[in-house]
Amino acid sequence: MKNKFLIILALIAFFGCEEQLDRSPIDALRASTTFQSVGDLENGMFGFIGSYGINTLTGFNSLYSDNTTLGSNNGGQELNALQLILDPDTGDRGLWANRYSHINDINRVLEAAETIEPDPNTPGEVDTYNFILGQARGFRALAHWDLLLYYGLDVTDPSAPGVVYQDFVELNGNPSRLTVGETLAAIQADLDLANEILEGETDKSYITPDFITFLRARIALETGDYDGAIANATAIIDQYPLANQAQYLEMFGGDLNDIEVVWRYDSVQGFNATATFIWHFGGGTLLDADFVKMSSELAGLFQVDDVRFTVNLENEVDIEADSELITKYPPNANQLYINDVKAMRSSEAYLIRAEAHARNGAFDLAAADVESVRDARRAGTITVEPYESTVEAIEDILFERRLELCFEGHRYNDIKRTRDITGEGMSRADADCAPASVNCEIPVDSEKWIFPIPTEELNANPNILPQAPGY
Amino acid sequence: MKLKLTWLMTLCMALVMNLSFAQEKTVTGTVTSGSDGLPLPGVTVLVKNTTRGQQTDFDGNYSIKVSTGEVLVFTYVGTKKVEKTVGSGNVINVTLEEDTAELEEVVITGYRGATNSAKIASSIATVDAEAIEQVPINSLDQVLQGNAAGVNVATGSGQPGQSATIIIRGRNSISGDFEPLFIIDGVPVDQDNFRSLNQNDIETMSVLKDAAATAIYGNRGAGGVILVTTKKGKKGGGVRVQYRSLYGISENPDAQFDMMNSSQLLTWQRDLLPGTQFGDGLSDAEIAAIANNTNTDWREIFFQQGVTQSHELNITTGTENTSSYTSVNYFEQEGTTFGSSLQRFSGRFNYSGSSADNKFNYNTALTVNFSRSSFIVDAARAGNTGGQLDNAFLVPYIGLPYMSPFNPDGSLNIVGTEISGAFNSDGSFNPNGAAGFLNTPYLALNTVRLADDIESELKSIASISVDYNFAKNLTFGNTIGIDYTNRENFFLQTPESIRGINTPNLASAFRGFQSESFLRNINLINTAFLRYDADITDKLNVNAAVFGEYNYTNTAVDGYNQTGLIPALAGSGSAFIAGDTAEGENGDVFNYIPGVFSTESELALASVFASLDLDYDGKYGLSGTIRRDGTSRFVENRYGTFWSLAGRWNIDNESFMESVDWVSILKARISYGIVGSQSISTLASQRYNATQTVNAGAGYQNNVGYTTGALVDPQVQWEESNQFNVGLSFGFLNNRITGEFDYYINETNELFNSDPRSLAQTGFATVQTNVGTMENRGVDLQVSFDILRKSSTNPWSVRVNANGNYNRNEVTSLPGGPQGVTLRTEEGQPIFSWFDVRWAGVDPANGQPLYLDIDGNITNEFSTANRVYLDKTFDPIYTGGFGADISYKGFTLNTLFSFAADRWRNNGSLAIVEDAGLAGFSNQSVTMLNAWTTPGQVTDIPALSFGGLRAIDGDRYLEDASFLRLRNVTLAYNFSRDVLDKTNFLSGARIFFQGINLITWSKWRGFDPEGNQSGGFFDFPVARQFTIGFDLTF
Repeated sequence: MKNKFLIILALIAFFGCEEQLDRSPIDALRASTTFQSVGDLENGMFGFIGSYGINTLTGFNSLYSDNTTLGSNNGGQELNALQLILDPDTGDRGLWANRYSHINDINRVLEAAETIEPDPNTPGEVDTYNFILGQARGFRALAHWDLLLYYGLDVTDPSAPGVVYQDFVELNGNPSRLTVGETLAAIQADLDLANEILEGETDKSYITPDFITFLRARIALETGDYDGAIANATAIIDQYPLANQAQYLEMFGGDLNDIEVVWRYDSVQGFNATATFIWHFGGGTLLDADFVKMSSELAGLFQVDDVRFTVNLENEVDIEADSELITKYPPNANQLYINDVKAMRSSEAYLIRAEAHARNGAFDLAAADVESVRDARRAGTITVEPYESTVEAIEDILFERRLELCFEGHRYNDIKRTRDITGEGMSRADADCAPASVNCEIPVDSEKWIFPIPTEELNANPNILPQAPGY
Repeated sequence: MKLKLTWLMTLCMALVMNLSFAQEKTVTGTVTSGSDGLPLPGVTVLVKNTTRGQQTDFDGNYSIKVSTGEVLVFTYVGTKKVEKTVGSGNVINVTLEEDTAELEEVVITGYRGATNSAKIASSIATVDAEAIEQVPINSLDQVLQGNAAGVNVATGSGQPGQSATIIIRGRNSISGDFEPLFIIDGVPVDQDNFRSLNQNDIETMSVLKDAAATAIYGNRGAGGVILVTTKKGKKGGGVRVQYRSLYGISENPDAQFDMMNSSQLLTWQRDLLPGTQFGDGLSDAEIAAIANNTNTDWREIFFQQGVTQSHELNITTGTENTSSYTSVNYFEQEGTTFGSSLQRFSGRFNYSGSSADNKFNYNTALTVNFSRSSFIVDAARAGNTGGQLDNAFLVPYIGLPYMSPFNPDGSLNIVGTEISGAFNSDGSFNPNGAAGFLNTPYLALNTVRLADDIESELKSIASISVDYNFAKNLTFGNTIGIDYTNRENFFLQTPESIRGINTPNLASAFRGFQSESFLRNINLINTAFLRYDADITDKLNVNAAVFGEYNYTNTAVDGYNQTGLIPALAGSGSAFIAGDTAEGENGDVFNYIPGVFSTESELALASVFASLDLDYDGKYGLSGTIRRDGTSRFVENRYGTFWSLAGRWNIDNESFMESVDWVSILKARISYGIVGSQSISTLASQRYNATQTVNAGAGYQNNVGYTTGALVDPQVQWEESNQFNVGLSFGFLNNRITGEFDYYINETNELFNSDPRSLAQTGFATVQTNVGTMENRGVDLQVSFDILRKSSTNPWSVRVNANGNYNRNEVTSLPGGPQGVTLRTEEGQPIFSWFDVRWAGVDPANGQPLYLDIDGNITNEFSTANRVYLDKTFDPIYTGGFGADISYKGFTLNTLFSFAADRWRNNGSLAIVEDAGLAGFSNQSVTMLNAWTTPGQVTDIPALSFGGLRAIDGDRYLEDASFLRLRNVTLAYNFSRDVLDKTNFLSGARIFFQGINLITWSKWRGFDPEGNQSGGFFDFPVARQFTIGFDLTF
């Protein structure tokens, strides 16, 4: 009797339940079986492009600079950034985490792609497959460039510590920094491959050969390859005219014109990357919804005949001129804050070329490029006299970049890059400093021009050292 | 089955008859109670060393067939056992004397039920019905506060029905579940939701604290186990009907801070505060005029006296072989602010029965409940931080006193004014301004009146258990139980509400938002056991059992949300604007596309386990358990084995103690064991902890995008808690002084925690796996002292009792470095230790904020590099309660104080109202009047020119949140039998007055120090309550 019960018990409890313990997630895919077809890879591509944090740098470069100050409706939002706190625990706005996470998504798609053979008999499948590979390589290069620019110890010195170039899937391990030179070589290799695969692609919402050229112009300028910068910028300028005033208004008012756009991060209803909410609460209009506003210093720099005055300060009905709200990303005609991120525009190519010319000593060519931009933006005819010195040239280019590219993710980095010529760091005007923000300066020799490796990486990975100096 | 049973019983009886046929006769008699001489029904009369038995009837009579020379054993709960040898007579009358020690000391243990406390070797605290019944705090976990040693109870919100956070003997997991497992009548239930249950139905709660008690719940016992037993009725108890009622009010506790009034604020704005504010440029006369006209104390507008009422009818029945308990209850409680309430209907039906020979027993427990909770926007509501501007508990802090809550016609203004930003100067409505800081009070009034957040819950817990003593010493049993919850959340922002008017956007023709979600959760359990219980020799008793158990949880949530409602129908599905309605310039904008979602997850546990209890002569005992569990959460390391071993020595039963009169109970206990936890997360969405997933969601350009789910470690395994306990139970001076003392060391190994990974390499900063070890060691003490006992000569009874716990936590190993920034968990420190820059006050020379650097030197520069450990932790070091129970004739007075000491929380609310940077739109604390202005001035408020310092405050607002509170005072009168007899229908009547949370002593500068979050940010405080009620028994 006893034995019988025991056996029944054992049967019920053990063997009966054993298989009951195998439970699969109901609402998610298993990683091991996710990618089976080109269609799956395409979903992976939409996933990794979606995971690229396009606003991370827009946020940092505006909040951590003299372009912004505390908004009148601030309840504590972004205080750390406005106080210029940057340390391994706080302040990098998750750039390291976002870019490497994005890179991991890319690597998983690329790894899966190796096991999937596109069917040549299905129309378009081979093209789609190649397009995915090209986007993957291009974004991987872009993401690593972002990391190198902000965490690399000196992008102009090939032997300085750079960043990890992650191009495979790994679940555990502690990589070391490559040198800047090695990192750049890996970026260029990915760009080369992408350029080859994507030949003929023209959709500005994706990576195209022109995107690659543009990125190379930026890289060249930052790394001191001024001839390279000029060549690549020229290639862009030759194809992409500057928007005139009306086109400029359309470009920033409802994304109605893209004549000077080389690459945009596309926003649609349902997947919207508008930058507006970096500085504003969501809800209705921008009025009374700002926790961060434009610095009075920057607001004072715009001439009234400059289309950028309208775009940056008055780009919404009902906005008072002196409110200093950031209106570069206004609601569209349907009152929806859906804005593409115009992340590469030909005006930037002009200013890249201008800076490269200036640094090469070609002050007339530099002035001509600045003049092209300024003339396009302002009423009447504007002329810029050839510069007399590198300092004068760089300061004027920096000034023009500030007006042209404000709230697009450049300001902090522009000040950083041009410190070698200007000898100046960042400082907020007195009016933008009092009373709320205590810290208003990043001295020219501050450690804060290089991002510290985040604590979370250091905790896991001792090999990542050296930490940036000063942290 | 029934046929088979009958056959079995016949077989047994046939055997007995064969053995005893020759000498048999029938003995009858009456059993009476020694205390009052009345007949005792339900007394078990057993022929010693046989299985033949009877129970006495309603009149205490029995009749049993026995043989001369056999021994009859009379047993009854709470009385001393009596044995009588059958002689020549045919009548044996027996008087059973009360056994006070035994009566009070029955302990409910896991998988075994009521056990004589003398035979318990583990650490268990029992909370009886008296501490739970008719307490108007409608969540049984909250009621535990101050009632049991080592049980730390903290509640995060004063919302009626809010579940508390319970930590037994220190936090024993860093990121896994640390709360105890709750078992109601054998069914594991949701540990965070008790609002639908009627706590008057509870008979006892047993808090199982050490491994010896909990290891048998191996799979989920690491945080302790709380066994809830509901009322069952008493066999032979006859029919009893009781009506219980309660009526009371709740109010907010007093504020331990002062806000400026109109005159103070405007003068201060004008004279001291830099920048442009409303007060600037006003003359004294103008300020006086405004202040005379409007000086609003927003507390008066937002706080209310909430009403509580409860009506209950319960019926208990008991016949010879069955008993039942039935109750129906209506309970209603309003919170201390408008819009917060709970309504509940609950019913319970418990039924127990036995076969005539008591060999077959069955129990059913069924409760079906419906509750409806209305929520306000508060800090504890899902996803909230407390900083929501429509939080009713934000307004008393930041609401500006010079704004009037009323319209000119005297009605309540729930929209705002031009000054508050709700209207533009041309009189048009300004939706942003209405949702802005200045308009906070009106926004909060608006949301609570024009928006709904309601949860309707159907909750049922049912269990059926049977056991059958099918052969000598052997019992087989099975329990099947279910905890079923169906919860519907209804959320509505009407088109005219400030929150709804912007939704979906200002250009859409229709506005407003409605969502509903439907949750269905089931926990199923099936437990089977086989038990062997026998006296091997005269002195050695063995109780051994083997169990098999299967546990299955399934949670499904689905729902929808809709933007765009027809105003007149808002709240109904008929209000929904069709999703394909196109708007916009080009007719290509779809503003009303509804969102839908559906999720489901499962959890399965399978276990086999065994227990062994040995008792030698009531002096020595040895208990052991072993359990093997499998869980669906893990894959490669699915199984865990847990065990415990415990011993006791009942010193009082030793012969050398017989002469020591003053010792009634003296028992030493020791136990060691390993208990497991598989609960990496309590979230239903995180139940697949060893399977790498990929999520599908909205990708670029709103295409389907695949992104990698959180990194998993396929090797993840059970968290293990190694628990050592040594204790002493004592009763002195005829048990006038009783108590328990325990010392414990709990070490958690394989802690669920995030293990750092290289982000660069893996794309993830951490993976949830098993990392590190942590230790809690401490002391539990509970004592009770009967200063006076009632007797025939003394009408007074006075008992004082106290319980307390001292707990020290230390993270003994945490590879991967510290976790958290200012609230840190690091090796060598207690979990959740505060680590921050030390605020050093204000420089009298220039009013600047000062700090201490890492070496303790004064500096004026804030640097995060100067953070140090402050020797302060979030979790309390000391917790407990004490009180007195006094009775005189029909009066009883019960008091309970509860306390938690050496706990530190960050007072974020005060930081807001001492922040000059916010003073343009937020009222300020009166302390801000002392802001530094003049060189040499000694003050603790920096010069206002330094603006908002919240990002660089350091430990300025880290406050001592220790508290001592008068938790419960009840004064009751029980009507005497004389009075009751005259009514002819009442057999009992009790009337009582009760106060809950009457006084709280604390240094915390807020409404309520309690909270269950490390930072206080405009929390909904738990209420102070006054109730009156009565119980009538028919």
